[in-house]
Amino acid sequence: MTDSPTPAFDIRGPVRSALVVGLIYFFLVGVSSLEAGIKIMGEDTQERLFSAASNPIAALCIGILGTVLVQSSSASTSVIVGLVASGALGVDDAVPMVMGANIGTTVTNTLVSLGHIRQSNEFRRAFAAATVHDFFNVLAVSLLLPFELATGAISSTAKWISGQLVGSAGTEWKSPVKAWVKAPVSWLKSFWEFVGTSGNLQGVLMVLTGLVIILLALTLITKNMRALVADRVERAVNAMLSRGGGTVALILGILITIAVQSSSITTSILIPLAGAGVITLRNAYPVTLGANVGTTITALLASLAASSPESLTVALAHTTFNVMGIFFLYIIPLARDLPIIAAERLADIAVERRTLAVGYVAFVFIVLPLIGVALLG
Amino acid sequence: MVLAFFKGNSGGDGDFDGIVTKAVSMLGDARHSFDLATLALLTKADPVTVAEDIRETDDRINRTEQELRSELVVHVAVQGNSDIGSVLGFTLLLKKIERIGDQAKNILELAENGVTLAGTAETDELLAERQTISALFGEAGALLSAADADAAEVDDYADRASAIMADHQAKMDEFMNSERPGREVVPLAIYYRYLRRIVANLIGTVRMSSESLPHADYLDDGAVDTED
Repeated sequence: MTDSPTPAFDIRGPVRSALVVGLIYFFLVGVSSLEAGIKIMGEDTQERLFSAASNPIAALCIGILGTVLVQSSSASTSVIVGLVASGALGVDDAVPMVMGANIGTTVTNTLVSLGHIRQSNEFRRAFAAATVHDFFNVLAVSLLLPFELATGAISSTAKWISGQLVGSAGTEWKSPVKAWVKAPVSWLKSFWEFVGTSGNLQGVLMVLTGLVIILLALTLITKNMRALVADRVERAVNAMLSRGGGTVALILGILITIAVQSSSITTSILIPLAGAGVITLRNAYPVTLGANVGTTITALLASLAASSPESLTVALAHTTFNVMGIFFLYIIPLARDLPIIAAERLADIAVERRTLAVGYVAFVFIVLPLIGVALLG
Repeated sequence: MVLAFFKGNSGGDGDFDGIVTKAVSMLGDARHSFDLATLALLTKADPVTVAEDIRETDDRINRTEQELRSELVVHVAVQGNSDIGSVLGFTLLLKKIERIGDQAKNILELAENGVTLAGTAETDELLAERQTISALFGEAGALLSAADADAAEVDDYADRASAIMADHQAKMDEFMNSERPGREVVPLAIYYRYLRRIVANLIGTVRMSSESLPHADYLDDGAVDTED
């Protein structure tokens, strides 16, 4: 075949693997730095910063907006875990936020589907494959947020699991990972002291440093993991296309997402496949649900660098929410088709009036959450 | 199936070995169809006895082509567009092999329509021609399998196959202008046309490994090879 251009910068597998391990450490330093920065700020400042999150709908909207902004639920949920670890954010406030992160993360593949807008049939298939994820997550939140507010079932389940693993809430969890990242975090703190900062300013700078480290590390982890596992992903997708059913697709969605540390990568891979008609909407749907579960691994990882059991509780609440969503909306046959039907209808409308597709993205992912925060925050 | 994720190495540079292996297998199937179909036309063998085999083989070729096309789309979606030239090249190559399967089926349909070239003045020559072309399938498979086919071998193959095509064209011209009865020469002309297309697609299959994509499917004189 025609020659492919040789990559300008090729890193061998073992070196790349070592790089990923280093980046994970870097990521954990970022989470710990964020936690330390918030703790440096006074309680009054923390109260002012996070008072908006006390309303669950506002917290949900903050979760959506934050995730849309960084285009990664892994990053936003890791930040939420860091905030909970610092004590600035309670578990009850954080749970709606991680639900919002679930909705916000679907914007990436919906944006990818807009790339097919010029070809009607291709766009119909691609947009439906993208929005089935949106509809599933919105339906899951519509069902499980009121359920959580009424019963506390998600956070109670997560608290119970967390309690079994690291001890009950309010206690200090001696995480070995926390000890490993202690030194670089104290160096960062010393650096900001050295440049003459203190109090709230130092806290803000520590938080910002933490955020930059988290985003940078996650971006590089995803990039390198994608390169490391691309062949496996390709093989798994081919196996799924030739013989896979719903459960297999769901499990592969989980595995691929854990491997690349990004649900957006997994779901975005599906869009050109759906657009080309290689994968049907019904086959793509369970992969996106698997991606929802797989992406929770990052917050679980982030909680290892935190000092309170509550941070693990929030990470586990994210996993529990997504597993429950699959149970109520996918395993129960009556509900299974709802996101598919909604996505197909919306795709039909979007093909007829394409500006509506762009409007849908802007309204659902930006305007509506902004209104929510403005009115209820 | 889930285990597919854990099998094999984890190298980052996706290759096309699997696609090449399956393409060579498609070529083997196309050769099988060609051998059977020409046998039905050139000998007294009953076409009914080979028809099912040829149609099943053609279905298998078509299914493999569709499966490989999907794999190529997956490759681009997962690995990015750095291999896009190869992906488009493989798409063309697979189409050429699929067309050879169809052309073998066309030869079978001649036999099924009651045409026979057995026991004619040309039969011995046609049987020899059949052997030559069947051997070209084998050579094409070997060149396709070679990770880095020698350009001289490819050129040699293309030269020999082009000479066969020119000969086929001459035969077609001769039969079209022949004084012999139409029921004798029209099937011969049609048969030679199918052979010519099969050989052209074999050349295309082999040259796809060395030609730059923009020039694929163009003949050496610049004409477009679109007679499929």
